[in-house]
Amino acid sequence: MISFTDLKKISDYEWEIPVSYRADMRVPVRIFASESLLKDVARDKSLEQAVNVCSLPGLVDSVKVMPDMHQGYGFPIGGVAATRFPEGVISPGGIGYDINCGVRLLSSRITYQEGKKYLDELATTLNKFCPSGVGTGGHHHFSPREVEDVCRKGSRWAREKGFATEQDLRRTEDGGQLPGADPRFLSPRALKRGRNQVGSLGAGNHFIEIDLVSKVFDEKAARAMGLNEGDLALQIHCGSRGLGHQVCSDYVKSLQSAVAKYGIELPDRELVCAPMDSPEGEAYLAAMACAANYAFANRQVLSHYAREAFESVLAGRVKDWHLHLVYDVAHNIGKIETHQIDGKSMEVCVHRKGATRAFGPGREELPAEYKTIGQPVLVPGSMGTSSWVLRGTSEAMARSFGSSCHGAGRVMSRSQAKKTIRGEDLLKQLKRDGIKVQVSSMSGLAEEAPAAYKDVDAVVETVTSAGIAAKVAQLKPLVVIKG
Amino acid sequence: MKNKLAGFEELSHTADLEIRAWGEDLSSLFSAAADGMIHLSGIEDYEEGFSAVTESISLDAMDYEGLLILFLEELLYRLTEDYMLFSIDSLSVSSEFSLKGKLKGTQIRSYQRDIKAVTYHRLNIRETEQGYEVNIVFDI
Repeated sequence: MISFTDLKKISDYEWEIPVSYRADMRVPVRIFASESLLKDVARDKSLEQAVNVCSLPGLVDSVKVMPDMHQGYGFPIGGVAATRFPEGVISPGGIGYDINCGVRLLSSRITYQEGKKYLDELATTLNKFCPSGVGTGGHHHFSPREVEDVCRKGSRWAREKGFATEQDLRRTEDGGQLPGADPRFLSPRALKRGRNQVGSLGAGNHFIEIDLVSKVFDEKAARAMGLNEGDLALQIHCGSRGLGHQVCSDYVKSLQSAVAKYGIELPDRELVCAPMDSPEGEAYLAAMACAANYAFANRQVLSHYAREAFESVLAGRVKDWHLHLVYDVAHNIGKIETHQIDGKSMEVCVHRKGATRAFGPGREELPAEYKTIGQPVLVPGSMGTSSWVLRGTSEAMARSFGSSCHGAGRVMSRSQAKKTIRGEDLLKQLKRDGIKVQVSSMSGLAEEAPAAYKDVDAVVETVTSAGIAAKVAQLKPLVVIKG
Repeated sequence: MKNKLAGFEELSHTADLEIRAWGEDLSSLFSAAADGMIHLSGIEDYEEGFSAVTESISLDAMDYEGLLILFLEELLYRLTEDYMLFSIDSLSVSSEFSLKGKLKGTQIRSYQRDIKAVTYHRLNIRETEQGYEVNIVFDI
C-alpha cells in the first residue's frame, strides 16, 4: 500500500511517485490533487493501480492522475497515459468497457424566469422522448449493415439521417467521427448488441440534466460558448452501450495471448495490451474507433430527441426554445495526438480513463470559435451538486497531455451507499433543494447519491489551481433524468 | 453462507462490484461465481421452473481464469441480450482448461443492474485448504 510518505511534493497541487518506488516502473506517476483529496484516494487502491500502469511498454513522460481519481480495474479512474505511436502499446483496459463514455453540453436562450414553470413538463417529456434504464433500447432497430454504418461514420451518420447539424459535428471531438474505424474487427455479438441502442441512455451513472447557468467566471469564453448567466442548459452523459462493452471484453480476452507473444510482463492481466503496429493492436484500434463512433452517434441522437422534447413543450410559450451544442467530450478513449515531449513533437496514443481532453488555445483540432479560448471542458457533478464548464490551457498541454478531470469521482462503494442512503429519502431531499428527478430504479438512485462522491467543487478548485484548466461557468441542476 | 462448501460474498469496491467466490472443486467454484454474478444483476422477476430450455455448454481457454471469464461472460450475454437466466444442471471443468455442462434456462422479465463486463483485474484462482477461491471485479 502506498503511503503519503512515498509521495514527492512538486507543488500544493501536484505530487509524484518516483520510478524508484517499484522496479517495474518505466515512468513516474504525477498526481494532480490537493493534500486533502490525496488523503481521500490513499484509502483505496487507485495509486497502486496508477503504479501498475507505469509498467506498460512505450510510455512517455509520466502517468498522470486527475484529482477525481478512484479505484477502477486495471487503470485507476482519472488516469492518463501516453504511449509512443506506433511502437508503443495500446491497452483496452486503459480505455474501459464503456468506450467513449462522455458528456455533452447544450446551451439555450431560455431564461430561468421564462422556463421555470415548464420544468415539470420538460422532465416528463424528456423522460418519454429519451429512452433510459437497465436493458432499455432506443427507438431504432438496425440491420447489421446499418450498425456498421453508424460505427464507421459516428455523428456524420446522424447528420445524414437528419439528427445533427454541421455545427453539432464541428463542436464534437474529432467531428464525432474517429478515423480508422473498421467494422470488420467487430465480433458478431458486438454488432448484435448495437442493433437497438442508438439513442438510448442506459443506466448507472448516466443521465440527462437540465441545468441553470448559475455563475459565469470568464465572460469572453462563456460568450464564445453561448452560455449566459441565468439561462437554461442541458447535459447528456452516456456512452457506447452494449456494443462498446462487447468490444472491450472481446479484446481484453484476445489480447491475453498477445502479451506473451510480444514478451510484455504486466502486474495485472486487466492491463493487457499490444503494440499499436502489431496486427492485434491495429485490430483493437479499428474496433475501438467503431465503438467510439457509436457513442458519438448515440449522444447525438439523444440530443435530437431532447431538442424535440424542448420544442414540444416550449414552442409558442417561450421566444427561443432551441438547444445549441457547446461541446461533446469523451472521457474513456484512446486518441492518437501530437504532443511536445522533452521539447520534441511526438505522436502518442493518449489513453484517458475517466479523464477529459482539455486542449489549450491554438490547437488545430479545435473549431474556430474555441481556438483562442481553448477547448470547453465539461465536468459533470454528482446528482444534485454543481457541474462545471472549464476551458483547456497551455499548461494542460505542457503538463497533462492536454487533459483534465472528468467529474467528481466516487469515494463510497455502491453497497455502502445503499446501506446508508435510502432512494426515497434522497428523492425528498433533492425535491426540497428544488431538483426534479425522473428515475427508473430507487436503489440505483441511492447508489448515485451525492454523498457517494467527492466534492466536485474541490476537484475543480484543484485542476484550476494546478493550471491545467480554467473556470468558465458553474451550472446548478434543475431536472435530472436517470436510467 | 461462509460455512458452506461453495458460496460467494460481496466485497467493498469504490466504483465497481467485487465478489469473493469459493468451492470445494473448480466446478463448484465456477457455479458459485455464476450465482454471485446473477445476485449482482438483481433478478427478481422470472418464470418459475427451470425446465423450459435445456442447453449444453462447452468452452475452452488457455487457463482457468480465462475459462471462468468465458463462462461468466456467456451467462451474462444470454441474460442481457436474450433475457435468459440459467441454472447449472451439471458442470465439469477439466485439467485441460475446458468446461462442459448442462444448463436449464428460464425467461426473465427484467433485471435491476447492467453489468458491463467481467474483468481480469487481479483475477487469480487460489487453492485453499477447503478447495478453491477467487475474487472477481465486475465493471458496472
